Amino acid sequence: MNSTAANKDTSKVSRRRAFSPQDRLTLGAFIGVPTALHLLLVWIPAIATIGLSFTYWTGIHISDIKWAGFANYHNIFFSTPVFWSALKDNVIWLAWFGLIATPLGVLLAYQIDRQIRGHAFFQTAYYIPVVLSLAVTGIIWNFMLRPDGFINGILGKDITNPISFFGDDRWNLYVILVMASWRHIGYIMLLYLAGLKAVDPALREAAALDGATEWETFRKIILPTMRPVNIIVLVITIIESLRAFDIVYIIYGTSGAQVPILGTLVFQNISGEGQSMKGAAYATILFILSIGPIIAYLRQSFKEDVK
Amino acid sequence: MSVEQNGVSRRTLIKGAALGGIGIAGGATVLSSCGSKASGPMSFGARTVDESPTKQLKGLVAAYEKKSGNKVTYNATESNAFQNNLSQYLQGTPDDAFQWMAGYRMQFFAEQGLLADLSDVWKDLDSQYDNSYKIASTGLDGKQYFVPQSWYPWGLHYRKSMVKELGLDPENIATFDDMLKMFDAMKKKGLVGFAAGDKGGWEAMGTFDIINARLNGYQFHVDLLAGREKWTDQRVIDVFKQWELLLPYTNKNVLDLEWDGAMQLLLQKKAGSTLMGSWFGGNFKEKSQEDYDDLWIVPFPEINPEHGVDTIDAPIDGFCVAANGANVEVGKDFIKFAGDKEGMQAMLDTGIPMTSANKNQDTSTYDAFQKQQLNVMSQAKYITQFLDRDTRPDFAGPVVGPAIQSWYKNPKDVNKIVDSLQAQWEALPEL
Repeated sequence: MNSTAANKDTSKVSRRRAFSPQDRLTLGAFIGVPTALHLLLVWIPAIATIGLSFTYWTGIHISDIKWAGFANYHNIFFSTPVFWSALKDNVIWLAWFGLIATPLGVLLAYQIDRQIRGHAFFQTAYYIPVVLSLAVTGIIWNFMLRPDGFINGILGKDITNPISFFGDDRWNLYVILVMASWRHIGYIMLLYLAGLKAVDPALREAAALDGATEWETFRKIILPTMRPVNIIVLVITIIESLRAFDIVYIIYGTSGAQVPILGTLVFQNISGEGQSMKGAAYATILFILSIGPIIAYLRQSFKEDVK
Repeated sequence: MSVEQNGVSRRTLIKGAALGGIGIAGGATVLSSCGSKASGPMSFGARTVDESPTKQLKGLVAAYEKKSGNKVTYNATESNAFQNNLSQYLQGTPDDAFQWMAGYRMQFFAEQGLLADLSDVWKDLDSQYDNSYKIASTGLDGKQYFVPQSWYPWGLHYRKSMVKELGLDPENIATFDDMLKMFDAMKKKGLVGFAAGDKGGWEAMGTFDIINARLNGYQFHVDLLAGREKWTDQRVIDVFKQWELLLPYTNKNVLDLEWDGAMQLLLQKKAGSTLMGSWFGGNFKEKSQEDYDDLWIVPFPEINPEHGVDTIDAPIDGFCVAANGANVEVGKDFIKFAGDKEGMQAMLDTGIPMTSANKNQDTSTYDAFQKQQLNVMSQAKYITQFLDRDTRPDFAGPVVGPAIQSWYKNPKDVNKIVDSLQAQWEALPEL
């Protein structure tokens, strides 16, 4: 650790010395332009959204903005029961992704990396859904599962008494989760597979020579060496679960009330006409929920790295 | 937005039109007076991608191009997407003229200065419309921002042949008991009596509207939607109790079907009836002329004799001109043509069923189903637009829609549901 830190210092000094005015200009442009774009397209709208969540505004004339204080948040927490059902659904979503979908993706990656028979085929098959946007995924599954869709057709159910995949709230959230996982698993698999390919085979060999079982090798050797990938996978799992929106929107349309999630509440409130800035307040809540655990986790893991 | 003040005059008008009396009288073309000085290309935004209405609108566009020599670009957007993005669309580079709805939905955008003032267009169209349409086209500032195209009544739709087979008279389903008797007979034959879909969260609002109006009257209904009455009122609970009587005859997958699912049930003869707006005549016609001829509409039956069948949901669809359009003058010229008898005729000539909002329209070419729609309208004294056009949009979509869906899941929760509706109404910010 110390030696790399020292290297960094020396390289910094030497690099600084080598910069010609031309280099500085080039580097300035390389850093400045993306930073400006990033500020303009990401941070300014994000901060504006947070600001607007404390106002009443129809979203059209700047002069109509009225200060609302915490009224939008008060309304969400105390007068909008659907917020709590949405939060519950998002938590279930996160738990499902964290405990089922992501581990499955990791398992598949591990299997494919072990060159099981037909691994090339499986790799392609699992990865195909990732190429499709969630919107397309939604449409495909809708064709399969709707009352006059493929599955009900195969089962010989007619439109008056089909299996209600999307309309029965005992399981419709889980139907949606299976659809979302179909894509998420492939994504995680690919990320993890790329990481596994980079693991030095010598480590595995050494473990095998020492008599470690497959499970022990994975848990004690592979998993720790994969640390950077693990962090990415974890962060992606959290983000994907909280920002979920597309599939529910495709299946249920704007109202999305049958499977309320925070993403659809944001959209429902900002789209259409005459809506207050409640949508902005939902977006802010979602932002805080997503960024909180991620910052905490990253800080924790960087702290460990420094040690 | 409702048109109570004008209910009576409109009713008289429609009666007259139905009798074919004033149909042709005032019809000498009005458009001749206004030589088209507006010229240049324009674009038109359609709020539909469905086959039948597209054919109808393209007929209108073609007729306008032929008459004015102005090139019109036709842009179509799926209706929900169009609705969700309208605010951004109007602030960006909108089409010059576009399809929209009357009343509350139009007034909001007019208030924000996003729609072009059409008062001068209305000077030419005034003689062709009944005053109730003008009121529905007027913004809160007293100027007009909308030109009506058509309207459709929400009523009980069924197939005459199926009702006849049950040994009942399809022309005489007049009271709630008549209706339940019909449903019983249908149920015995293994049919769904009352097909419903509410996956979109708005479809069942029509059922709420009509049961409330039948049971508690027009005045209570509009007062409730305007916040002058409470959702926790026993009368609202009674509406849901009455509605519950229909559930044994309703398909079990209401929350899995959208409006077109319920329509499919009727089209495929799996269900005997459905409550819906009559816009779907085209779908029946697409299947076959025979199916279309079989389709019938009656007013939702009487529940409380005090109110009879005096109220109907009959939303008006039509056109607006965007204030930010590239060619506002041509846009206005286009919708003046669209609202004129001549433009209406071009749409009717496509053969797609539509009930024109223009009072000078020649209704002699209307078929039996269209005439029956006029007849259904003429029985109503009060006209409402539809729940999501008659109350605040941030209440209708996000609150009432899901509340009705949760009622479908568990009708026993009615007290909890109305409590929550009232609490959420009270929590709305001042506009």
